[in-house]
Amino acid sequence: MLAATKHILELLAAGRRAELEALAMSKAAGELRELIDAIAPGVYERHQIIAHAKANNHYYVKARLFGARATPFTLQLRLGEHEGHWAIWEAVNLSGGRTAWTR
Amino acid sequence: MQKMIAVDRLARPDEHIMVPVERIREARIDQGLLANNVMPFEEDFLKGRLHGIATGEMQAMEAAGRTLFDFPDAPWEFQLDMARQVWDESRHAEIFSKLLEYVGSYIGEFPESEILWSCTQVDDPACRVAGINRGLEGLACDVFEQIIRMGQKMGDPIIERAVDYVLADEITHVRMGSKWMRKLTEGDPERLQRAQQFQDNIDALFNFEGFRTSKEEAPQVPLMLGSQQIDFDATLTISRETRLLAGFTDEEIDRLMKAAARSSAY
Repeated sequence: MLAATKHILELLAAGRRAELEALAMSKAAGELRELIDAIAPGVYERHQIIAHAKANNHYYVKARLFGARATPFTLQLRLGEHEGHWAIWEAVNLSGGRTAWTR
Repeated sequence: MQKMIAVDRLARPDEHIMVPVERIREARIDQGLLANNVMPFEEDFLKGRLHGIATGEMQAMEAAGRTLFDFPDAPWEFQLDMARQVWDESRHAEIFSKLLEYVGSYIGEFPESEILWSCTQVDDPACRVAGINRGLEGLACDVFEQIIRMGQKMGDPIIERAVDYVLADEITHVRMGSKWMRKLTEGDPERLQRAQQFQDNIDALFNFEGFRTSKEEAPQVPLMLGSQQIDFDATLTISRETRLLAGFTDEEIDRLMKAAARSSAY
């Protein structure tokens, strides 16, 4: 799960939309699109997984992207296995909120 | 200082995950589980339940403190009761965080729902005590009684006694809520009705779609807890005797039971 998250964070930082969309459940497509749109591609060089919490067999993961000339970007994903791979079930931009889920 | 602090402004450590209850329910539905809450027959029941309570106690502490701050013109005795509740809830949060360690878990293993804090968004102290003290702490009376029985069946006096100790306080909190819901709405039947409606909405949120019964009616299923197997409730139970101790009337308990049974027909 953590390896899958790292891969997703790299794709997000690079703005690789098609590859990300292939990893998302259809219900998460809209949220993922909004998240990708909010992240300027090529600006963030590294990432950090801040927290993860279990929801039965799914996991919420909170992560942050860092770039030398950008404000850190915080996001939260819900990942769960689907057809043998980790898929994105929820994707939310947490930047601007304190630490909780921003609605 | 700002009043009515929004849910997404609730201070938490960065390494803490908070999720709206609707999202948590959606995650359960996506996995083919019952929407409402972790059930006794699920693998992580005890850890998940204790985690939910620990974070609930934390929010209850914060909410009682906010109520004290948000309504400076409320009667002095009301403020004293809220202050006492902050103290009680802080002890409870410590007890449940230690119980989490005891069962091999920790704060943050599961997401924290913000349901209790969302009750502080209502701008009437009568609604707050109706929703939190009567609705959610009434629910806690049921949940705690079930965990106490589970501790007894497991032969685990630590869980049994720790939760029993907290339950004694919860009973006083419900009584406190009933007293203030009535006192604050004296001579204003419409306000009382609004407060009761607020509590009804909270109760409805937790009727568990029919997976809530009296403890006498709960079907027994084998349940693995660590290395031991016990027969235990397949449902989340409503404890009439605990609710009576907390000052709910038979009529109120009957209504709750009927609502839980009715939702199973949907």
